[in-house]
Amino acid sequence: MKIVVCVKQVAALGDEVEFTPDERDVDPDYLDYALNEWDAYATEEALRLRERLGSDGDEVVVVSAGPEQVEEAMRRCLAMGADRGVRLTLDGPTDPIALARALAPTVERESPDLVFAGVQSSDSVQAATGTALADLLGLPRVAVVTKIEWDGSGPARVNRELEGGLVDVVEVDTPALLTIQTGINEPRYATLRAIKQAEQKEIEVIEPEAGGEPAYRIRRMFVPSRGEGAEMLDGSPAAVAQRIAEIVRERLQ
Amino acid sequence: MTTLVVAEHLQGRLREITLELVSAAKELDGPVAVAVIARDPASLTEMVNVEGVDEIVNVRVEPEEFESDVYQQALAALIADRQPEVTLLGFTINSMGYGPAVAVREGLGFASDVYGLAQDENGLVATRSFYGAKVSAEIEFPGKRQVLLLVRPTAWPPAQGSGSASVSELAVETAGSRARHLDFEQVAASDVDITTADFLLSIGRGVGEKENLPQLEELAGKMNAILSVSRPLVDAGWMPNGRQVGQSGKTVKPKVYLALGISGAVQHLAGMKTSGTIIAVNTDPEAAIFNVAHYGSVADLFDVAEELDKLF
Amino acid sequence: MARDPKYDILFEPIQLGPKTMKNRFYQIPHCNGFGSEKPLNQAYFRALKAEGGYGACCTEYCSISPESDDSHRVSARLWDDDDVKNLSVMCEMLHDHGALAAAELWYGGPHAPCMESRCVPRGPSQIPSDFEHLTYAKEMDKDDIREVQQLYVDAALRAREAGFDIVYVYGSHSYLPQQFLTPYYNKRTDEYGGSFENRARFWRETIEQVREAVGDDCAIAVRMSTDMFMGDAGTQLERDCLPFVELCDDIVDVWDINVSGISEWGEDATPSRFYPSGRMLPWQEAVKKVSKKPVLGVGRFTNPDLMIDAINSGKLDIIATCRPSISDPFLPKKIEEGRLDDIRECIGCNVCISRWEIGGPPIICTQNATAGEEYRRGWHPEKFDRAENADNDVLVVGAGPAGMECAMVLGKRGMRRVHLVEAQDEMGGIMRWIPQLPGLGEWARVVNYRKIQIDKLRNVEFIPSTTLSADDVKTYGAEIVVIATGGYWVGDGLNGATHDTIPGADAGKPNILTPEQIMRDGKEVPGEKVLILDNDGYYMGVSLAEKLALEGKQVTLMTHLGQVAPYMHFTLEAPNQHRKLHQLKVEIVTSNMLESIEDGKATSYHVYDEQHKTEWEADAFVLVTQRRSNEALYRELKDRIGKDALAAEGVTGFYRIGDCEAPRLTADCVFSGHRLAREIDSDNPDVPKPFIRERKVIERELALA
Repeated sequence: MKIVVCVKQVAALGDEVEFTPDERDVDPDYLDYALNEWDAYATEEALRLRERLGSDGDEVVVVSAGPEQVEEAMRRCLAMGADRGVRLTLDGPTDPIALARALAPTVERESPDLVFAGVQSSDSVQAATGTALADLLGLPRVAVVTKIEWDGSGPARVNRELEGGLVDVVEVDTPALLTIQTGINEPRYATLRAIKQAEQKEIEVIEPEAGGEPAYRIRRMFVPSRGEGAEMLDGSPAAVAQRIAEIVRERLQ
Repeated sequence: MTTLVVAEHLQGRLREITLELVSAAKELDGPVAVAVIARDPASLTEMVNVEGVDEIVNVRVEPEEFESDVYQQALAALIADRQPEVTLLGFTINSMGYGPAVAVREGLGFASDVYGLAQDENGLVATRSFYGAKVSAEIEFPGKRQVLLLVRPTAWPPAQGSGSASVSELAVETAGSRARHLDFEQVAASDVDITTADFLLSIGRGVGEKENLPQLEELAGKMNAILSVSRPLVDAGWMPNGRQVGQSGKTVKPKVYLALGISGAVQHLAGMKTSGTIIAVNTDPEAAIFNVAHYGSVADLFDVAEELDKLF
Repeated sequence: MARDPKYDILFEPIQLGPKTMKNRFYQIPHCNGFGSEKPLNQAYFRALKAEGGYGACCTEYCSISPESDDSHRVSARLWDDDDVKNLSVMCEMLHDHGALAAAELWYGGPHAPCMESRCVPRGPSQIPSDFEHLTYAKEMDKDDIREVQQLYVDAALRAREAGFDIVYVYGSHSYLPQQFLTPYYNKRTDEYGGSFENRARFWRETIEQVREAVGDDCAIAVRMSTDMFMGDAGTQLERDCLPFVELCDDIVDVWDINVSGISEWGEDATPSRFYPSGRMLPWQEAVKKVSKKPVLGVGRFTNPDLMIDAINSGKLDIIATCRPSISDPFLPKKIEEGRLDDIRECIGCNVCISRWEIGGPPIICTQNATAGEEYRRGWHPEKFDRAENADNDVLVVGAGPAGMECAMVLGKRGMRRVHLVEAQDEMGGIMRWIPQLPGLGEWARVVNYRKIQIDKLRNVEFIPSTTLSADDVKTYGAEIVVIATGGYWVGDGLNGATHDTIPGADAGKPNILTPEQIMRDGKEVPGEKVLILDNDGYYMGVSLAEKLALEGKQVTLMTHLGQVAPYMHFTLEAPNQHRKLHQLKVEIVTSNMLESIEDGKATSYHVYDEQHKTEWEADAFVLVTQRRSNEALYRELKDRIGKDALAAEGVTGFYRIGDCEAPRLTADCVFSGHRLAREIDSDNPDVPKPFIRERKVIERELALA
């Protein structure tokens, strides 16, 4: 059995922000990098499946794209127990569609039984790479998976958590790509020894084949002005309460 | 510019996001078509026939509930047939399962969690957030004749008023689905773990006196919300720190965060700003909480709480 | 990051008579155990606050004469030219940072026990001190008045010579000038007693003389308590203080306003248990309304929003802080730099004050382990040297106060990786449940500050919900292992009074409970009647009594000591805690010790008459007898596995800290974690490096000559 987990090193902004001169992105000096939270869950889920079903020779392979520094995030996954990594040398941020195109040949080469990706990345929140990648790989997919039941062959039974606390139980043929939601498990922590050992694990570096044209281009990045996006509810307390009640009910439907 | 909206429904009911998508579509010039992909699309036709919709396209498919392969094939056929410049889907769990697949297969421009739309001489401009919603970006789609966008829920108000759309049908061949809906299950109600609650009623310094707590606890109960607090209330010893939201407390991400009397210290915002929908009530119009809120009201929390009490 | 413009007012200069203060942050007089006899400790301690942005820093109370000698407690002194020399170092270091230096000229009257000088203090009337037992003053005649006023003048001149910019004619806390103003102390019938004018005379004359003496070289500050909370006998705001402000406004450059007398000065240095920040603002505002001079005052301000609100609403001109400046000497700088989440907020526990009250030891702080260590250990609260063994990985087991502090400081010292592993799902250890005790909510700041700092440190990882066995620790992969597994309240009645367990005491039974079982584990306290045995003497017994009484239980609180919670006398919490327990109808039984517990009954004996026994019936018995270290993991690692086997796995350093070593004050646990981390690269981190003992070392040959 082989599971490929697609992971991303995400960037987080502190309280201060400066933009690059072309205003199309944040100045990297203001960013901190870490393994995407969703991808830790995806990695853990892969490790658990391997531990539950696996036998000798099974592999959990982490695949990521980016400059050398993303290996730091990949090493987290390797320290958790993933066997090896493959990094595509891709520079700079990219959109999820272009990223999926870049990842597809490498993932395909691995011929995995399952492909996992986090539902979304915390820095971009597109929730798209996994689903786009599935299409390129010709795989069935389920997005936002909160539970996986699978005996190693044939269809898997998975839960998808919908808005409003409803769970959609789905039967999906395998091989499949699943995008993994946080909370599906509790990702393990790596001991210092595991972290040290992960430093020795192999990360293969691959030049990506030429990708397609980007799905979008950032024209201008900016700090949202004060209160932008906050719709002010005016009127009497009764009117405000009425509107709040509507919003609450709508969002929790 | 023709805009295609894909209606979203669940268990036979139209979801509110559909009407919000219509409002978003109306911001763009040109006709608006709404596609209803369902086993019995006609049953939803009336509900999507709101003001601003020019055409309703019924697409009959076999599964009763959402299945990603079926929706992908249906949407691909719709785009091929109607050639919309813009296709709008909700940024919902369902759309995440097929929207990006359509975009990559058909070579469309794509972005999700879009909360602003505009048109200028260079074409469509969408606005969305990056880096934990700390910055926003205008994005454009050079070289893309067609664009698929997933639109943030609640970013637009739902369209209202009865419309006079024409109704047509589009026959779509869908091959077997590789991911099949089996069943629905209800998630068990969450307990006092504020990190997993869907709905937090969060209170802060504005509460004033400890004696005011029971009334808000009661309101939370009535609204089926979990009560959480900002730090001053833990400092005061009124609430245990397990209920504390913020940098020194818990990071929460509920679907709805209703903040009453919370000014929004940086440390507090760090713990809740990624919540789905943030509603803030505060007497101070300058309160920082309004910077991250989706809805705000400058009002006394007790006045609003009293009225909310009557509604639940 | 730049500061928020709304805080600009805090950084505007202000004129204090002839002196300009660069901003609105003022470190009020407070003790530190150094006085003028440990001048370098004193200077480094104050200068650090100036470095942290304070615009002015004061001495503690600074005695003007041997006849105002507060020993056994430690004050500063300006008795002679050698004191001038010693305190001048502090002034110079403050000036180097652009801060003003202030001296609190102090004469205690009947409160000064003069245990070292063996002088006799002078006072307005001959009534023994309400603060210090067996201390009387000599009742002053007119000559005495002139002589004592001259002592003020001489001391003020010495202060000027030492380099002080501000001199106080200090009245608060019921010291001499305010004793004259207050009927409780002043029973005189001459022109210095009786009417307001007469009672105010001594203070005004003294201010005039000091002013005359120092001229324009120093600003004159007056600190006055505007309410002693003792009815007509005490100083009253309307009757005494506002008229006094009007009377002296022309000769005073800055008013420093607080409340309280001396015997309950916890009304001024308010424990967070009873008062939030800004408690004195109504009195400060009242003075501000009648004075044309700047008004400053304390209020345990840690939140810049409350500070600007006090200024913008016309209640204060200058934010004075005492305890918040101990907890975070860099409070002003952090506001200025917009680093609000780095502020180490005072928790209002008052262990700082407890050390002064005890008399002698240097200051400590629960939040700031470096307080008092600036000179003698060379510790800076914001600066951390890269450790020489920074290429090591560290495992800290246990994220209580000691473990958090240790991991944080190791992180700041640049260790390659620090793993802070905790069995529970959050960090905090005992400080997760102690803040749930009545009134102790702010104590959670011990966790808050460290959690935020640890979150920011990329080389420190917090690992919750993970219990490590000794073998797990051995093979964890760390070069340095620190065990910080805390302590626990015993369930068998073992105690420091009898040094034995109590027959029948067994917290495994449903009706016998320990503090952790109640607060952390949610064990139900059965029935109505509860007997709490407190052999500890600090906050735990009384806090549980209060909590259970608030929950409707009928509580008896027994201690073998002569009074409950004697340590709370030192933290100034005692008076209000006694009031609370009394109001809650908690039955207090002192000088009694439990002999045995049997089902619903217990027997006690009087500690001074062991034959005098009393039977007690209760539905529940709570044992607050003593704590022990949770040292099982440490012992197993050291004794079963052994240092050699650890070394074979690459563990070269193996230590323990905090309650795991010996149960102590939280301040001491934090210190323990900090100390180890500061000295992790010393020759033997197990043993604290020697600190500089500021003492006179004799020239042996000369001494024997």
